[in-house]
Amino acid sequence: MSTQHSAATSRAHLVIKHPIEPDAEPAVRLNEVRLTYETKEGKLLDAVAPTTLTIRAGEMTALVGPSGCGKTSLLRMIAGLTAPSGGEVTVFGDPPSQAQRHKRLGLVFQEPALLAWRSVADNIRLGLQLNPRQTHSPTNIDELIESVGLRGFERYRPTELSGGMQQRVALARALAIDPPLLLLDEPFAALDEITREQMRYEVQRLWGISHDPVEPPRSALFVTHSVPEAVAIADRVLVMSPRPGRIIADIPVSTPRPRRPEHEHSDRFINDTAIVRAALRSPTTPAVPLDAA
Amino acid sequence: MISEPIPELDSLDPAESRRGRLSRPDLRPALGWVLPPLIALLLLAVAVEVWVRLGDVSIWLMPRPTAVIENFFVDFGRYFNEGLKTLAVSMGGLAIGTAAATLLAAGVAHSNILERAVLPIAIMVKVTPVVALIPLFIIWLGHGWNPKIAIAALITYFPVLINAIAGFRDIDPRMHDFFRSVDASTWEIFQHLRLPAAIPYLFASLKISVTLSLIGAVVAEFFLSGQGGLGAVIWIEQNNLRLEQVFAAVLMLTVLGVTLSTAVVVAERLFSWRLDQPVTAS
Repeated sequence: MSTQHSAATSRAHLVIKHPIEPDAEPAVRLNEVRLTYETKEGKLLDAVAPTTLTIRAGEMTALVGPSGCGKTSLLRMIAGLTAPSGGEVTVFGDPPSQAQRHKRLGLVFQEPALLAWRSVADNIRLGLQLNPRQTHSPTNIDELIESVGLRGFERYRPTELSGGMQQRVALARALAIDPPLLLLDEPFAALDEITREQMRYEVQRLWGISHDPVEPPRSALFVTHSVPEAVAIADRVLVMSPRPGRIIADIPVSTPRPRRPEHEHSDRFINDTAIVRAALRSPTTPAVPLDAA
Repeated sequence: MISEPIPELDSLDPAESRRGRLSRPDLRPALGWVLPPLIALLLLAVAVEVWVRLGDVSIWLMPRPTAVIENFFVDFGRYFNEGLKTLAVSMGGLAIGTAAATLLAAGVAHSNILERAVLPIAIMVKVTPVVALIPLFIIWLGHGWNPKIAIAALITYFPVLINAIAGFRDIDPRMHDFFRSVDASTWEIFQHLRLPAAIPYLFASLKISVTLSLIGAVVAEFFLSGQGGLGAVIWIEQNNLRLEQVFAAVLMLTVLGVTLSTAVVVAERLFSWRLDQPVTAS
């Protein structure tokens, strides 16, 4: 643990504060957004019930809920990858397609989803290379590689790395385009427990890395089904009900920043996780999830 | 908080696997693969030789293997030159067939309607023995090289088409999402995602189609024996009942087939990012 502390302090200059700006244009605004699927049998299925929600600029929001409750669908609608069946999504005041066009979204998925034929460094550069007219201030890729701990591995292929290191590459790829909004869809769910717990704090360290001060402060939506992970990372935890998913609780996290692993033993942390867990079990939600899809 | 990768935590040691990837293959195991079939072939030739000599088999039925090999080397210039003609036909057909199939596959991979329109026709052509079309091709394309190249192209295009479609579509949906999230164009998605994904599939199909192109070339040369090629040599020499020459020409075809197949495998090792791609269709 002592090596972790020294690593933390030596990198303290990289920890950039992310002030929440209540007056700025919100990063994400959902207005009565809902999603209805048609199944193969032709039945209509409500995936996301009408949801209204604001993610303020500079805010890190976690979204927790049981499997299949529509967390990922909500994230995909914000990213402009799934069209909502109704309601309005805006990202920095514009439709998600505009956010895509201006490369304002940094996506990280549960699987690293790297290009197997490219080296680590070329995978990280991918976002800069695509849609090149929109690449504004060029990110210092070498610095980014250094800070995600991949120095010396630039020329490796993804398959030569462990799962945890592959996910670092995916994180660096998302950060390389300097997105003011990070969308993280259970990014650590496929990792082993030890790596997961490290990555929780890695994400906070990398939070503001190489972020252009001209852009809005970086915000994030972090989808997870781990309550401690949500409370360790987020400023605010949104709890979603089983399908059709809707936000049933909006819980501020009281642990101060910068957060450290030992905070997980603090009363505040334990109290916050208890509140989130209670919300997940609240009487408005069935004790047993309606589906396991 | 640990930013440097720690080998004990990261289960796989990258340095080790990197060495494995870059090291040149050891030739000794290769000999273990090459020697047994060579010895078996030699034993078979000896058996035939003994059978022909002791059994007093007619020269019109079966030549002595030693006589075939002698003829092969004495007349090597002829077999080599005719082999070059066959090679030109099969490579021309392979190039045209592969290019056409890859282009069509790129279109099909982007359009379900095009897929529904094209695939049934492609399969109809596939189940039809295309050599049956040679007489027609001669009527349409004349007696020159064109009908031969057309047959070689037609016989090679199907495995390439099916594999290329599978390859262009074998993309990680999350990866596709990432491309969309930065507003990548359809061309960028093709160039940086679909095309590289299809490379292992294209090599898998080339392994099949390279030998198919030789079959197409030889059968076409049977019909068009005036312009030479190993198929023409075989056709003419069997009419003359000169079986030594027939076998020598077949031997040259074997050499061609082995060389071409090896060339594809070598090219795959040089240019493909993945070597374990299963074959989708033959």
